[in-house]
Amino acid sequence: MNIDAAGPQLAERSWAEALSLALRLVLALALVAIVVQAAIVVHARPQDLITGAYGMADIIRRAMPPDFAKIDMVWWPALETIDLAIFGTVGGVVMALPLAILAAVNVTPSRYLYYAARSVIGFARAVPDLVWALLFVTAVGLGPFPGALALSVHSIGMLGRLFAETIEHMDMAPVDALTLTGARRVQVFTHGIIPSILPSLLGIALYRFDENIRSSLVLGFVGAGGIGFELLSAMSLFQYQLVSLLLIVTFVMVIAAERLSARLRSRLGRGKHHGF
Amino acid sequence: MLRISGLTMRYPDGKIALANFDLSVEAGELVVVLGGNGSGKTTLLRCISRMLSPTTGEIWLNDTNLAALSGDRLRQARLPLAMIWQHASLVRRRSVLSNVASGALGRYGGLWTALGGLPAVERRAAYDHLSAVGLVALAGQRAGTLSGGQAQRVAIARALAQRPQVLLADEPVASLDPEAADDIMRLVRHLATHEHLAVVCVLHQVELAYAYADRVVGIRDGRIAFDRPCSELPRDAVRQLYLSEAA
Repeated sequence: MNIDAAGPQLAERSWAEALSLALRLVLALALVAIVVQAAIVVHARPQDLITGAYGMADIIRRAMPPDFAKIDMVWWPALETIDLAIFGTVGGVVMALPLAILAAVNVTPSRYLYYAARSVIGFARAVPDLVWALLFVTAVGLGPFPGALALSVHSIGMLGRLFAETIEHMDMAPVDALTLTGARRVQVFTHGIIPSILPSLLGIALYRFDENIRSSLVLGFVGAGGIGFELLSAMSLFQYQLVSLLLIVTFVMVIAAERLSARLRSRLGRGKHHGF
Repeated sequence: MLRISGLTMRYPDGKIALANFDLSVEAGELVVVLGGNGSGKTTLLRCISRMLSPTTGEIWLNDTNLAALSGDRLRQARLPLAMIWQHASLVRRRSVLSNVASGALGRYGGLWTALGGLPAVERRAAYDHLSAVGLVALAGQRAGTLSGGQAQRVAIARALAQRPQVLLADEPVASLDPEAADDIMRLVRHLATHEHLAVVCVLHQVELAYAYADRVVGIRDGRIAFDRPCSELPRDAVRQLYLSEAA
């Protein structure tokens, strides 16, 4: 290529590069602008972190050492928290499964039921569990039961959606084969669909259980029982050594639930050699 | 046993997959359907089993016109009609025995089967069906661990659990090696002869059709090109069937 011919091409290329650079600069500035507006909206004041450091250090000092003498007081709320998560997860699975069947496009009996089920699942997910807890506390009073109900209903959102997606992605050949044997719709479901997707359903439910353990801690703050309720009470009474003990127990519970859930899901993934 | 008359299947896009198709199959008869890709073979089986609703025509299974039924009446009328596929379509995570016994579900409507249980009598019968296909030793094994040939035999055992009078087989040996394919066709032949099943089997392997069929039906563009006893079928006629596709 001679230089005369290459000249316009080189000029065009440098223009394109300049334009690309300018575009990236504009995008970077836009990103910075978004972060700055977020900081303004949330009234972010970094200097408060520095001035507040003394107060935080004071709380940490007063929280040490954790008051292990009161460990007997913690067992019951801890068990309550775990049971909140168990009830919430099981209740969620029981309600989400039928909804998921209606909300899976490949097995739903009707288009109207499909949209209705999708709407219920979406609504359960859209309303935060804390709001569900407040509603149920109003309805059935304080204690762990409204918390368990809140977790159940909120779990429908995630479980229903993931269950439906699992059903939609399953191999339909065994389902068609069973249907042609003359099996009824419910038999096709229990003999064909459920056994095929059971490991995925259990994996999703275990993941939800892990999340519900963490959610149940927060629900205690609105009077729905469990260790969260004890945490709120201890903080209100400035019993920081008890607060630190409760936080340690919480940490152990969350990590244990996470490890247990991960281990069980991994076992489900590997499967077994024999049928059932 | 099975009589099809004037069967026409026109898809919503206007394409005619089957045109005025007539076929009858008697008990103990094995009819092989040959034809090129897209000639209408699979559509024929899907219409007979009513997975597809034909545009016009009649499908008589004994004294019942399946084409005129729908819903639960169709489900019940279809019980004597079993189907096997190119892939065995087993529930991979269930045992071989459970897969076989599930072929009998259509005869049971109680809570136990609705909750995933299988009647004890059908579990016992499933051993007999597995014995008939030579796989009783694998009864407790998970279906997902079987080879292609074994899985197809289990699918046949599941079809037997249905106590069928008619067996539809859609390319049942298409994904098997020649030895396994021969085994499966020998078994299908045995079922036709000794269990008196009327069998309609779609195949691509011409040699298997000559080896095992009583009659061969050739399909071209959704129409019957020939319908002759195997012994009277010239190889040229079969060749023409596939030549038209190549052209």
